[in-house]
Amino acid sequence: MAVKEKIVSRDFKEYVREVNPDVGLDESIKGLTPEKIEKTIKAVLGARTARIRAVLETCIHCGLCSKACQWYLSNDGDPSYAPVAKMRMTIWEMLKRDGKVDAEFIKQCARIVFTECNICHRCSMYCPYGLDVTFIIGLVRRVCFVLGVVPQRQMDQDHAHATTLNQVWLGQNDWLDTMQWQEEEVGAEYKDLRIPIDKEGAEVMWLPLGAEPKTGIYHIERTAKIMHAAGIDWTVPGKDVWDSSNMPMFLRDFATMQRIVRGLFDNAIRLRIKKMVLTE
Amino acid sequence: MFDFIRDPSLYNLVRGPLVWIAFFVFIGGSIFKIRAMYIMARNEKAVLPFINGKAALRSLLHWVIPFASRNWRLRWPITTLTFVFHIGLVFLPLFLLSHNILIHESWGITWWTVSEGFADAVTLLVIFSCVAFFLRRVFASEVKFVSSSSDFLILAISFFPFLTGFLAFHELLLPYKWMVILHMIFGEIMLMAIPFTRLGHMFYFFMTRTWMGSQFALWNSKDW
Repeated sequence: MAVKEKIVSRDFKEYVREVNPDVGLDESIKGLTPEKIEKTIKAVLGARTARIRAVLETCIHCGLCSKACQWYLSNDGDPSYAPVAKMRMTIWEMLKRDGKVDAEFIKQCARIVFTECNICHRCSMYCPYGLDVTFIIGLVRRVCFVLGVVPQRQMDQDHAHATTLNQVWLGQNDWLDTMQWQEEEVGAEYKDLRIPIDKEGAEVMWLPLGAEPKTGIYHIERTAKIMHAAGIDWTVPGKDVWDSSNMPMFLRDFATMQRIVRGLFDNAIRLRIKKMVLTE
Repeated sequence: MFDFIRDPSLYNLVRGPLVWIAFFVFIGGSIFKIRAMYIMARNEKAVLPFINGKAALRSLLHWVIPFASRNWRLRWPITTLTFVFHIGLVFLPLFLLSHNILIHESWGITWWTVSEGFADAVTLLVIFSCVAFFLRRVFASEVKFVSSSSDFLILAISFFPFLTGFLAFHELLLPYKWMVILHMIFGEIMLMAIPFTRLGHMFYFFMTRTWMGSQFALWNSKDW
């Protein structure tokens, strides 16, 4: 096995990682200026609200959160993967330097918060104070997102959501076509099986993940069979938004995130359904 | 207080006016900090509507009872140290005989006290926990990585009142009177530092746990 090249962080000598090129990080930092970075950090972290202060002023740096983190555990207890270490290497440093950090630092932050944290909230379950470390990581993600420094794959999903309101670039005609095609497919097996589109007053509205009509089409067929067998009065929305995955939330792209949630609820109100059923 | 005006010695200064100042700063500062946090939480509209009293209480109870939460059980040595340290730190000064005598001299009131031998043992345990915490900060990799000078400072702030108290009681190192003066000064520093350093976790603990307990109840999950 070839030995991968390692880099040691300029700011933290304990932070040693394999070189992992990503266009979203390597190229996007080229356009950053110190002024732009400072302005962004101050815009996101400037109004030090209760939830930020509570974490920063309470955390006693005890390291008890470390055993909660799957990154820490699966890297043989490397201290730079501990949740508190991730705060130290990102937000504490940003505030200590009053936002005067360079592009290289932002790239390192983006690598930490996007690729070494799953924002799963387990650290809050292990913290004696129940501090919301995930919220802080989210703020750093917000800083990186506003600066455009996001791993390419995640940024692409966000763009897909912003453009088509689903994560797989599926147009509305393709969505409707897929539903009708699946109805035809199962029709051969079950009598009277329908995939009702835009049925007003239905009991249940089913909202798939974007990948299901795109690459996991058999899921739709199976969901239809289950609904049919259980005798549930169900429907799928014929208009956007139908994709219940909310990737912009993970980037803290608030504008797109809100459009998706609002779109889902708009559909629910329009069709006067009683329950939303989401995949996953 | 009036002793100091009659006889302005260092002892009467730390025994009189400085105690008043320390308690004023400690209580006033704490109320100010709690109030400020509450107002900020109210302005941040996403906090107060989601507070769930019952869930918060359950979460709090699981974390103030030793070994009641998963992380306390996973790390039993640290859990034992933490509880011994905090119980000693908060309750020993309240129920110490000599502290009660001082209050009796000033105001003529007393309450329960613990025996001197027991107090001595608890003091030693607190000192031992402080040393253990210090060693953990220096040698445990995950703690070392996030430790800065302020962490050692707040550890020292809580360590010295107990050390000087112990030395004064046994009349070691310095004459009793000087050691007691040092002990009072360190105690007053600790009280005044609580609201304005991360020792404020003394009261923030209850607020942050309330918030997280409520959040996890919302997600139908336990946070202990």
